[in-house]
Amino acid sequence: MASSTSGSSSSSKVVKIRSSDNENFEVEEAAAARSETIKKLLEDVGDDADVIPLPNVDAKTLVKVMEWCKKHMDDVDELNKEEMKTWDAEFVDMDQSCLYNVLLAANFLNIKELLDQLTQKVADMIKGKSPEEIRATFNIKNDFTPEEEAEIRKQNAWAFE
Amino acid sequence: MGASLSNLTEGANGSSMGPGLGDIPESCVACVFLYLTPPEICNLARLNRAFRGAASSDSVWEAKLPSNYHDLLDLLPPERYQNLSKKDIFALLSRPVSFDDGNKEAWLDRITGRVCMSISAKGMAITGIEDRRYWNWIPTEESRFHVVAYLQQIWWFEVDGVVKFPFPADIYTLSFRLHLGKFSKRLGRRVSNFEHTHGWDIKPVRFELSTSDDQQASYECCLDETEHDDANGNHKRGCWIEYKVGEFIVRDSEPATEVRFSMKQIDCTHSKGGLCVDSVFIIPSDLKERKRKGILK
Repeated sequence: MASSTSGSSSSSKVVKIRSSDNENFEVEEAAAARSETIKKLLEDVGDDADVIPLPNVDAKTLVKVMEWCKKHMDDVDELNKEEMKTWDAEFVDMDQSCLYNVLLAANFLNIKELLDQLTQKVADMIKGKSPEEIRATFNIKNDFTPEEEAEIRKQNAWAFE
Repeated sequence: MGASLSNLTEGANGSSMGPGLGDIPESCVACVFLYLTPPEICNLARLNRAFRGAASSDSVWEAKLPSNYHDLLDLLPPERYQNLSKKDIFALLSRPVSFDDGNKEAWLDRITGRVCMSISAKGMAITGIEDRRYWNWIPTEESRFHVVAYLQQIWWFEVDGVVKFPFPADIYTLSFRLHLGKFSKRLGRRVSNFEHTHGWDIKPVRFELSTSDDQQASYECCLDETEHDDANGNHKRGCWIEYKVGEFIVRDSEPATEVRFSMKQIDCTHSKGGLCVDSVFIIPSDLKERKRKGILK
């Protein structure tokens, strides 16, 4: 668990990162640098960096995020685009609490492309559902009074004409 | 603003559930909204107070408005849009805004926020329109302008129009909305009458468009069927048909694009008549395609 170095590309530099629950990971720099946050930290500390602590991301989530980063380490050529799309679609197909954690991590680590994919996934989960279905899906409590609800319905009627 | 939705989805997530997607930070919620259409966002406003707040924010709706929505607002008196939120502006502009003496309308497509336009026959130059032996104005609910031009008969058939507007960048399709035959309601039922309908099967009508940056398109078509096949009926009579003239591309809303369009059948060896002219539509092409494929609204 503690090490996830890729053995194949021996030439690439490896950086160490630490999750909020104190697990250390070794990741190729090119993968870790997909995160603007880590990239900036690396630039700031230079070569004498020991371990980069990530106090907001737990190990389970970090494994998931780094899996994405490794896959997206290199530029994708045209041939692999379709394959990558399939991989991405499978990647974001995770349970809600996991999706929530990875989304928060992507936000904190500032990985724009991953954040886009995750927010798109959330949007897809919302599309085509009624407010009642969305509440049930995301376990959201309705805190409106019936009067307020009627008022909002009226305010938004234009969108459904 | 700036607060997360988390503290506001109070009690949403039972302790056994852990945090859920109702708790994602507002900046991420804004990203989610980018992938949703205005009706979907309005749906979210009905979830709870927190979502209502997020779904009303100006930044969300600014992204749904065309970049030059001010040009559309300029068609309205300022008191209609002063102090309105971006969401209310979107709602306002998704209803037709009329201009040029009420003979033209522009509006935003509710789903995509793209600009659509319609021009009434009232706003076009129609040869012989002042002579009641040729043309008549017929009030009707079947036109968004509540009136159509009805041609009884004429030799020189020509209808021209022009519109200058800062269309946002897009590919647009221009079409004429026509109806072969006269229609009326009898005992609550719609009936068409073809007593004047003649001459449209002899030679095609020529439709043309041109823009201020030299784009041109044309299309020729006989408005009536040559053989009156009683078994299969005539599909060109008694219904509104949109004749696509062509497409034009707008790369930037500045400078404003001027579009000229016309429809002609000027072979004076025969007369033609029995045709209603309603309007011209200018609609983003793929939007039109989508509506044609049955998501008609």
